[in-house]
Amino acid sequence: MRNLMILAAEAANEPTVVNEMEQTLLRAFVLIIMFGLGAGLTPKDFALALRRPWGLVIGWITQFGIMPLTAYVLIVTVLLPFSSTEGILLVALGALIMGSVPAGTTSNLFTYFSKGNLALSVTMTVNSTLWAFVMTPAVLFIYSNFLGLDESLSVEFGELALVIFGLIVPVGLGMLVRRLSANVGAVLELIGGVFGLIFIPFLIIIWVPRNWELLMTTEWPTYVVAIGMGLVGITVAYYLAKLIRMHPMNARTISLETGINNGPLAIAVIVAVYIDNPGVDQILLVPALYSLFIVLISTGVTLVFRRANLAAEQKIPNLL
Amino acid sequence: MTTHAWLNHYPSDVPHELESHSFRNLPDLLAVASKNYSKTTAFTQCMPNGMNGSLTFEQVDKLSDDFASYLREEAGLKSGERVAVQMPNCLSYPIVAFGVLKAGCVLVNTNPLYTQTEMLHQFSDSGSSALVVVDMFADRLTGIIEKTKIKSVVTVSVSEFFPGPVAGIIKLTQKYWSKTLPKIKVEHTSFRDALKLGKKASANDKLSGYLENVGPDTVAALQYTGGTTGVSKGAMLTHGNLVNNTLQMISMCGSYMRPGAEIVLTALPLYHIFAFTVNLLGFYHLGARNILVPSPRPPSNLKRAFVNYRVTWLSGVNTLFSALLNERWFTDSPPKYLRASAAGGMALHESVAKRWREVTGTPIVEGYGLTESSPVLTFNPLGGLQKDGTIGIPVPSTEVRCVDEEGNDVQIGQPGELIARGPQIMQGYWQRADESSLALRDGWLQTGDIAQVDSDGYFTIVDRKKDMILVSGFNVYPNEVEERIANVSGVREVGVIGIPDQNSGERVWAYVVVSQPAPSTEDIVSHCREHMAAYKVPQHIIFVDELPKSPIGKILRRELRDGALASASSSNDGKGA
Repeated sequence: MRNLMILAAEAANEPTVVNEMEQTLLRAFVLIIMFGLGAGLTPKDFALALRRPWGLVIGWITQFGIMPLTAYVLIVTVLLPFSSTEGILLVALGALIMGSVPAGTTSNLFTYFSKGNLALSVTMTVNSTLWAFVMTPAVLFIYSNFLGLDESLSVEFGELALVIFGLIVPVGLGMLVRRLSANVGAVLELIGGVFGLIFIPFLIIIWVPRNWELLMTTEWPTYVVAIGMGLVGITVAYYLAKLIRMHPMNARTISLETGINNGPLAIAVIVAVYIDNPGVDQILLVPALYSLFIVLISTGVTLVFRRANLAAEQKIPNLL
Repeated sequence: MTTHAWLNHYPSDVPHELESHSFRNLPDLLAVASKNYSKTTAFTQCMPNGMNGSLTFEQVDKLSDDFASYLREEAGLKSGERVAVQMPNCLSYPIVAFGVLKAGCVLVNTNPLYTQTEMLHQFSDSGSSALVVVDMFADRLTGIIEKTKIKSVVTVSVSEFFPGPVAGIIKLTQKYWSKTLPKIKVEHTSFRDALKLGKKASANDKLSGYLENVGPDTVAALQYTGGTTGVSKGAMLTHGNLVNNTLQMISMCGSYMRPGAEIVLTALPLYHIFAFTVNLLGFYHLGARNILVPSPRPPSNLKRAFVNYRVTWLSGVNTLFSALLNERWFTDSPPKYLRASAAGGMALHESVAKRWREVTGTPIVEGYGLTESSPVLTFNPLGGLQKDGTIGIPVPSTEVRCVDEEGNDVQIGQPGELIARGPQIMQGYWQRADESSLALRDGWLQTGDIAQVDSDGYFTIVDRKKDMILVSGFNVYPNEVEERIANVSGVREVGVIGIPDQNSGERVWAYVVVSQPAPSTEDIVSHCREHMAAYKVPQHIIFVDELPKSPIGKILRRELRDGALASASSSNDGKGA
């Protein structure tokens, strides 16, 4: 009896939204994805990006400007006023984190399918990932102050920076490996891309059924935030890029790059930083939902993009 | 005979006449490098994502011996029988090509992108008795193979000789992701098995026996070309033709080609005569490392090759250089170790040549040749006076003249048909005596190209006879109009053709591919008006997504014309801009 109680007490402190096996898998996922990202890069790519920094500057502004702002606006206009759940501030924190993390490799894939500028997409992903270790804590600091999160929820900015930095290390290692062997690098790059994709069925097959009840009881404002964040981000960034007369190809790239954030990274960061917080389940809710829906949103957007503007650009026949 | 003006412009390290050599055939020539550089890397195949595989000179030598044995002992071929080879640039290509030559057989290079009709024509016309084909396209053999004399089919895969796991990944990707590995329904042997069988059956005395009767005048390759008449026919290139042309090309480059020290990027397909002689034979003989790229389109496919290898030489066509100059990754960090580039296959636009030099800081020279001349005839000397817009001066032991309809030399600066004589000129067309006698007169190859020569002996191609447009009795050369339009900012590529016209005989149409921001029809027309006589200005400008091109990227004016005529007859609106 006594033992049972201890077990129950221990279980209470373990997040159920993402269980231990999933956490381990997730860390592996993020590491592999980051490694693959690095394995596709050379110092020349950075030199190239720095010589024409416009796309990167715009991307940086949309990434750390539009996305967190979108999250914040959705939180104060939809989530907080229309939710009745007790720990809604925890959900809000999760949404903020989701909006503040950098772009993910999934954005590269959708850029490719929507005939965007793949080189720009990859450099933007890397750029925002590298900046994340300063920018994500900074942006979170600003908006969590606006939200007035109480002390128990205050973000450990130093720890957050450290966790993100830890995830950037594999990017550098990937670059190193590519330099040593082009073959191993290319294989890792491919595996990284595949894992970025596997993450989605992983969510659907393992995570959704296990959390079915939670999903059913989650209130609609949470869904609006999780779905709206990507949709609004993509739309605003696209029209902003059009407004400053960027080439349609680059506008499509920046738009997808902005709207598609690194879901696995957000989840991994939350698990690492808030594992001891009893409300970790609520914090994880928006990132998990976002990761699920962003695939559907991006697919839809890609179809729209493919239909528009393609006639103006050159088709290239390909042998292999 | 008078001394030729061009000899004065040979750099000091280039001989006037090709030095005598003792190579009886191509395998003799190949043996030198195979022995001298045996342990160094001869070929590296680089995929768009950087995956790669390599072979040393020794491996290429031994494996091609095995393949020669396979052809003779297992497939039962005899000396002089034709072997069709159909594959993109890959590690198997040199093994197969050298193996065919070592077996004393005749190489029939075939474009892997050919349709069934084209394949059937080439296999039947050449009377090929064996075929080596890349597995990606082998499904096209169904239904045509039995109409040919082909007895054995060997299939190669693009990832052959790659490290095991990498080859496996490429195969999986081809099979399940890009779905480019169709089921092969005809009987075939895999290249690996063929090599194993060959190895078992091989013996040194047998190998030398295959070449007993193979001398300089033995046909080494049937290289198919439309020539000036358009009918696809096999140019008979002998061992002597190819050995001599390889040495002519190398000697013309003087100290720019350092034995055992060059790394050449081969983006052009090796089944094309330009890459075959210059990149494969020439750079192999030099002991260079050849970086093979299966497909240069899109040009970003070359990025990893440039990043991962210290490329010192590049050969290409105008389209390739122009495409690279449109890539930011290329112009922002041009290849650091590049020493020189050679352009051929089509006219190198002066604007492209100029930008290439600015961007890379290295020379680019235009050469000229035909399938019928193995192919190199002329070249701008790398170590001497280079004249942009010209095709340079004849390579050693080569005579070139411009003649009128009666075969008399035209005056300096006057256009005439370019004719050439030298040890690289083909024997004739395979089983086409009539066409051969039209192309070869008293040992002079009639190129069908209109050229003029200046007082220094530099030749300039004015145009091909059949592409010339006749507007109210005035000659319009598409090259000139294309060159003008290419100078308009925002124009990426342009193809100019002549369309029949009731009033003027023919009129000029231009097909233009643009980049953003795009120029308007007005921009282009006014630029042309400013720089050219009115009759040369295109009457109609058509904006298109892409231009039809040959495998090496030469713009196919004939296809543009056919398309224009087809749509003109259906709409018949006679509209002009």
